[in-house]
Amino acid sequence: MNLDYLRFDIKRTLRNRRVLIFAVLMPLVLFLIFGSTLHSADSEGGISAIAYVMVSMAMFGSMNAAMSSGGVIAMERDGGWNRTLRLTPLKPQAYVATKVVLSLLLAIPPLVVVFLAGMIVGHVHLSAGQWISVVLVSWLGALPFAGLGLVIGYVAKPDSVQPITGLTTMLIAAFGGLWLPIEQMPHAMRTIAELTPAYWTGLSSRSALSDSGLDLHALLIVLIWTVVLGAIGLSRFRADTARA
Amino acid sequence: MQAVAGVDLTIRSGEVVALLGPNGAGKSTTLEILLGLVQPDQGSVQLYGRSPVEAIAAGQVGVMLQSGGIIEDAKVRELLDLVAGLHKDPLPVADALQRAGIADLADRKLKALSGGQKQRVRFAMAIVAQPDLIVLDEPTTGMDVESRRDFWASMHAETARGRTVLFATHYLEEADAYADRIVLMRAGRIVADGTAVQIKASVSGRTIRATVPGADLAALAALPGVRNVETRGDVLLLQCADSDSTLRHLLANTPAHDIEITSADLEDAVLAIGAEQESLA
Repeated sequence: MNLDYLRFDIKRTLRNRRVLIFAVLMPLVLFLIFGSTLHSADSEGGISAIAYVMVSMAMFGSMNAAMSSGGVIAMERDGGWNRTLRLTPLKPQAYVATKVVLSLLLAIPPLVVVFLAGMIVGHVHLSAGQWISVVLVSWLGALPFAGLGLVIGYVAKPDSVQPITGLTTMLIAAFGGLWLPIEQMPHAMRTIAELTPAYWTGLSSRSALSDSGLDLHALLIVLIWTVVLGAIGLSRFRADTARA
Repeated sequence: MQAVAGVDLTIRSGEVVALLGPNGAGKSTTLEILLGLVQPDQGSVQLYGRSPVEAIAAGQVGVMLQSGGIIEDAKVRELLDLVAGLHKDPLPVADALQRAGIADLADRKLKALSGGQKQRVRFAMAIVAQPDLIVLDEPTTGMDVESRRDFWASMHAETARGRTVLFATHYLEEADAYADRIVLMRAGRIVADGTAVQIKASVSGRTIRATVPGADLAALAALPGVRNVETRGDVLLLQCADSDSTLRHLLANTPAHDIEITSADLEDAVLAIGAEQESLA
């Protein structure tokens, strides 16, 4: 990772407040809407329904925020920025690592806000250990989407990156069980769900709330998704030398 | 499709070389191959004895691209801080801004700058690495006459520091004025390579105009290096491939006086080389 590059990207991101606010507001509003329909006694798979929705919406928010880097990358590429980077000593691995870390940082505000709303408005009661574990595992859950944002940034053009990101996010969220609990899905849909990274990030995050402990198998699959998507992003960066 | 072919070029340390040619001559492609952005189907490139990627990784090359390559929503200083941070031994950013003449623009966003000002930012990005070699692709595109002159003054300061410079241009006067050596490209090939003076001479040579009473025209025409002799009364016009030796002969063996030597300008030379190429094709 390159700290100067990270600092540069953070400064630019902080100037773009509308994007940051939207990234926080959307999952928060969704949580408040979904959450208000639930009774505190409802439960799903041994986890209170409100906590379930809290984790899902936090995951959705962090996934959205992590993938937003794709739009920026598509714009940068369009302006020939990658050529400039290729003509500096910046290593491709350092580039990918920097963009992934940036996405992880972007994922923090929606996670924190939705969890706080869950705690304060939703009256979700967890032990301190459970809170720490669910926050950390949910944060790790942003990793594959950081990779996915990177890949979309390299596949899409600036004018197509928004719809592509939007559609991908929606499909992954729907099929990955962030909208509808996996447990309530028909069998065929569950099979598809397992093919999305969101299924595994949701599974691992919720496992932090259950008594049976962390689902390490799900966490491993999350990391594999990250490595695969990161590697694709890396090879695209290497191949991309187009003139502006 | 072939953009360039048979480009064989060795640039020595400290040279200032212009890659001159019309649009579409293959200048940008040649630079892209040199920088490792494009892989040639045949042939190879070495920069300081290693591959372009390795030389770039070592920070030996500073590049100023023709267009794009910047981030429009960043501020000038932020962009320079970043590029400096990617190199091991960069120039202080304030110095780079100063040398590029854009210290007063440091806190402006790039999208608020004119085309010429952006070119100066790209120049600052190229020199902040303190590279051994600076490669510039059409560096003065979009600049007015005054900023073009200022730009070359900044460039001169860099070459005075001993840097090797390779720049592509289609402005003849820039190649003539600022390069030690001109490599003339046309249709993807090198058609001439030498100093501006050599290129001018290679085409039309020089013309010696002298008053030579009682000249022996046949003997003069037979001299090596003389292509053609014309007379206007006592005044002779000798078209020479090697005007130096002709001049020696005139001074040593004839009563020649009022001698003038003129050469075709570079523009004539370039046009002539172009015409020659076309007639061969």
